[in-house]
Amino acid sequence: MERREFVNKGIRLSLLLSLAGLTGSLLQNTFSDDYVWQIDANKCTQCGRCVTSCILTPSAVKVVHIHDMCGYCDLCGGYFKPETKNLTTGAENQLCPTNAITRTYIEDPFFEYNINEDLCIGCGKCVAGCDAFGNGSLQLQVRHEICVNCNQCAIATDCPADAFKRVPANKPNLFKGFSGEGADFKT
Amino acid sequence: MNKLFIYIFLLLNLVLLNSVSGQRFPKPEFEKGHTQPELHQSPPRMLVLEYVDVIVLIVALSIASYLIIKKRSRRGIFWLSVFSLLYFGFYREGCVCSIGAIQNVTLALFNPNYNIPITTILFFILPLIYTLFYGRTFCSGVCPLGAIQDLIVFKPIELKKWTQAVLRIIPYIYLSLSVLYAATASDFIICKYDPFVGFFRLDAKFYMFLLGGGFLISGMFIARPYCRFFCPYGLILNWLSRFSKYHMQITPTTCIQCRLCENSCPFDAIDKPEELNIQTDKIVLIRKYLLLILIIPSLIFIGGYTGRQMNNVLAKVNPTVQLAEEIFRYNIKIKNQKNKLPENIEVEGFKASGKTEKQLFTEASVIIEKFKTGGMLVGGFLGLAIGLMLANLSVYKYRKNYTPNKGECFSCGRCINFCPIKIENNIKIIIKKYEATQ
Amino acid sequence: MKPLNKDFWKKIVYFAAIFAIFISILLIINYIQYSKLDPVNAKLIENLVQRLNEDPNNEALREEIRTIDLLSRKAYFTSQWQIKMGGYLLLLTVILLVIAMQMTLFGKKEVEFLEKEDTFFAQAKARKWIIYSAIGILFVGFISAFLSHQQLNNNFLAENTNFSKTKKEEKENNFKTELADEELADSAFSDTITVQTDSLNIKLSPFPTNKEIAENYPNFRGIGGNGIIYKKNIPTKWNGQTNQNILWKVKIPLQGYNSPIIWGNFVFVSGANDSKREIYCYEINTGKLIWKHQVKISGSPSTSPKVTPDTGHAAPSLATDGRRVYAIFSNGDILAVDMNGNQIWGRNLGVLGNHYGHSSSLILFQDKVIVQYDQKQEAKVMALNTLTGKTIWNTPRKVKISWASPIVVNTGKQTEIILAADPFIASYNPYTGKENWKIDCIFGEVGPSPAYADGIVFATNEYANLSALKLGEKPEILWQSDEYMSEVPSPIATKDYLFLVTSYGLVACYGAKDGKKLWEHEFSNGFYGSPMLVNNSIYLIDIKGITHIFRASDKFNLIASNPLGENSTCTPAFSDGKILIRGKENLYCFGK
Repeated sequence: MERREFVNKGIRLSLLLSLAGLTGSLLQNTFSDDYVWQIDANKCTQCGRCVTSCILTPSAVKVVHIHDMCGYCDLCGGYFKPETKNLTTGAENQLCPTNAITRTYIEDPFFEYNINEDLCIGCGKCVAGCDAFGNGSLQLQVRHEICVNCNQCAIATDCPADAFKRVPANKPNLFKGFSGEGADFKT
Repeated sequence: MNKLFIYIFLLLNLVLLNSVSGQRFPKPEFEKGHTQPELHQSPPRMLVLEYVDVIVLIVALSIASYLIIKKRSRRGIFWLSVFSLLYFGFYREGCVCSIGAIQNVTLALFNPNYNIPITTILFFILPLIYTLFYGRTFCSGVCPLGAIQDLIVFKPIELKKWTQAVLRIIPYIYLSLSVLYAATASDFIICKYDPFVGFFRLDAKFYMFLLGGGFLISGMFIARPYCRFFCPYGLILNWLSRFSKYHMQITPTTCIQCRLCENSCPFDAIDKPEELNIQTDKIVLIRKYLLLILIIPSLIFIGGYTGRQMNNVLAKVNPTVQLAEEIFRYNIKIKNQKNKLPENIEVEGFKASGKTEKQLFTEASVIIEKFKTGGMLVGGFLGLAIGLMLANLSVYKYRKNYTPNKGECFSCGRCINFCPIKIENNIKIIIKKYEATQ
Repeated sequence: MKPLNKDFWKKIVYFAAIFAIFISILLIINYIQYSKLDPVNAKLIENLVQRLNEDPNNEALREEIRTIDLLSRKAYFTSQWQIKMGGYLLLLTVILLVIAMQMTLFGKKEVEFLEKEDTFFAQAKARKWIIYSAIGILFVGFISAFLSHQQLNNNFLAENTNFSKTKKEEKENNFKTELADEELADSAFSDTITVQTDSLNIKLSPFPTNKEIAENYPNFRGIGGNGIIYKKNIPTKWNGQTNQNILWKVKIPLQGYNSPIIWGNFVFVSGANDSKREIYCYEINTGKLIWKHQVKISGSPSTSPKVTPDTGHAAPSLATDGRRVYAIFSNGDILAVDMNGNQIWGRNLGVLGNHYGHSSSLILFQDKVIVQYDQKQEAKVMALNTLTGKTIWNTPRKVKISWASPIVVNTGKQTEIILAADPFIASYNPYTGKENWKIDCIFGEVGPSPAYADGIVFATNEYANLSALKLGEKPEILWQSDEYMSEVPSPIATKDYLFLVTSYGLVACYGAKDGKKLWEHEFSNGFYGSPMLVNNSIYLIDIKGITHIFRASDKFNLIASNPLGENSTCTPAFSDGKILIRGKENLYCFGK
């Protein structure tokens, strides 16, 4: 019996040592901050998978409007369907399938656009419209207060553009052409 | 180049033309002093809270170990598991958990570009260390997946030994595959097929709910089915727990062979006393050992060979390989159909990436080649596992008392309630109780 | 302790279980309904909106769309809410069920003594079953391995060897080029071609002399791409509708917005659609199609990128040095064919990130093909060896997408490649690709190429401005104007004047040195084709195909307006006594 105890002790000790070794080697490339998932707006192709692939319904991916980049256009490529003739807020003219963008008159000829994130489902239709005809001020981003930060993001596995990546939690946005903090643009 | 836009645009911008800006439509300067709405930021969870999680984990592990080893309190463990279910399960929504951390650790070991957060390392390592000392106290009352299953145990049936033995092969397969796919940065299958995370979030894919529902309903009759027959982390804990220093005991002092605890364990983790008489024939025994020495290496070899051959099947989980296959199939379709096919999203995405097909196919075949080694290791590991299981089943250990099987036991403490011997009781009471039951 | 009412709890167990099953069924039904609702692809509404676009005054239809849209959105969000609430309800029920179950079990300590399994037999049986399942796993593994044995990998490897094979075949078998039927019929004619090209081959230096280049029309907008050429007897009067002064007219098989180029007696154009890319060679006196070459390049993407119809897949013009003809297409395919239409080399430069389609034309400098490749990602300018197609130099550029073409001009001391793209005009050394200078003065989606005359570079773009840049030790902005700007056509400059052509039909003349506007004239149609300066006259074709000819002087003086009878967005090409115009579908040659 004593011999068995001794063997056990030896094995336990070596296991402990190997666990310590493992931890040591892991600490080599560790990271004190946490990671969160984010879409790289530069890579996003607005394929529409964010709507269905996220484990949450509605998706944690929403469109973000960067007003600093917006041209406040009357004819907004992100708001109106491409062939729209009468620039009114009627449902037949709106690109957004869920009525999540509001259009407010500021002064002639400028309009401000805002996103109602409760309604946004992250389809990216407006993003594609703004990219094609406007400044690209509408961009899809993961909203971290909604995202549960899965260990393996389900959208990341489905994303055809490989646009999802882990980013440090202290820099949680990946905008296109915009640094995200102030009003300055990246060159 | 769209006429309509040009004209509107022309009207709009005549005044603003000189303002130098990188934008197609420069931001207007409002005459009436319009205040621009702030950019809606969504800050991630505070880092401090991640460390709070680790502290809660340490505290919960310590309490669980204290409750089961020192206090021997089933009730305490029960309430602890309710707490863990609420905190790690419903509040933290099941992520990150120690089970899934296996994959992060593997990915970090094989992929130097992946920086693993310290919290994840701690979630992986801490339960292992506790298990080395106190047995699987993590499973008893800390793991939310264990807790949810533990709470719904209703009428557990005793599984036959052979059924259990066969089902115990599954965690080995699951563990080796999840390590393989994490090491090749293919997929996190443990997370993908986590059956209970959907309940914690009250939101998941439909198949996840089906899977979880199946586990919960069967869990009423087969206690803790995921922990026993699937959990890859449980497998590691199982092996560590066998060498644990202070493992829970059914009897605090000496077993009086009352047999009260015999059927108390819903997980069939109590080893019953065994007489020595079975292994009398020494020649038979030696023959058996010789056979094992031959069998285990050959099992490893056969497993390794089969795994190596399976590299194509195994590699299909890898996204790069999947994409290459998709493009390959798409090309064939184009060849056969001649007319233009509607592009699917994958093909479009690939084209937008600017990679050439040749690059992609080369990359994919490199990955498939890697899976040869990976498949071989997985196969070899499974061969070894099956060999060891066979060896274990050929050994007959002399056992005098009812003892928890240190590997299988979840330290839930149910059996403690059945044991008539309590530390504080004096011998008279024990005898009285013993007589009463007889 | 009060005895528990077990029966009560048992009833609750049954009740909760039934209720949970009921909710689950409801949830599943709701989920199936919900998954059918897809607000992103609402076909019904899309169809209705399409109908409304055709009939914009139909108020009833408009109202109908609004109502359907509201209802479908409501249904979508209500379903979502129902599922969420159902989930909570189910959770509560399950919690109740669990509590009730625990209560029925509470205090239950029935001890059963079961017949003890014989360990020996139990273990033997377990061993047996483990062996069975191991064999089962092995079997499944082998079957799956057998079924897919190296299938994927072999496929991929085969695909890769296919690539290299086709490359080899292309190299070995240069005679694959399809010869046109006409040429086969007229064998005597084909003999003369071979003789001619053979004679060319004999005296072949690696690249043509300046004299040779001046005798021909080797690329978009003539020598250096600067729009100024010296040719004799160019017709001033023609009419494509009445066939006045027409020499020939042929239909080009595939469409393209590239402009013709000329070497010797041959005219080269290209055409493409989203599956085919072709280069055509016509004889200049008769308009006969000498050969056509269908482009097949290994490594080329299987489908072409999306382009807009006004740019197309073959917008860049070809270039030739009399040894080979070079062409680039919207999918990044670039190739060289010899004068008989046999492919010499071909490569794909990678997918172009360009939302209209690539349109920068090729230009040659000595033995280098200069490619302006200002794409969404990794904008660059590169020089490829004319003989092999290998990259000689490659200079990355921090610019946005540009649709302008390079010009190669001698600025006195040196030859420079000058490129226009948001945000700067930049000059590169054609030998090394090193940047000589750059000036930030342009932005937007740059379409017009720069122009050069007498030490001044002119550049413009719609919504930006018109800038004149004085070269020298330190290039600087000489003058700027923001009255008129061009979106597509390039400006043209002489020592004294700058002529600016806009896409909406206005032509303005400025003093080259001071930027003073001398005259402006508004034509009735817009311009996409660029002006060409021949013998002190400017030839400018509008989008309806009418070529206006006016004096390059400080007064507007229209010489002629010659209709083509077909729309055109290309720039004409010139040979002694001939003008070549590509219309939307046909290639015309006018001459006396």
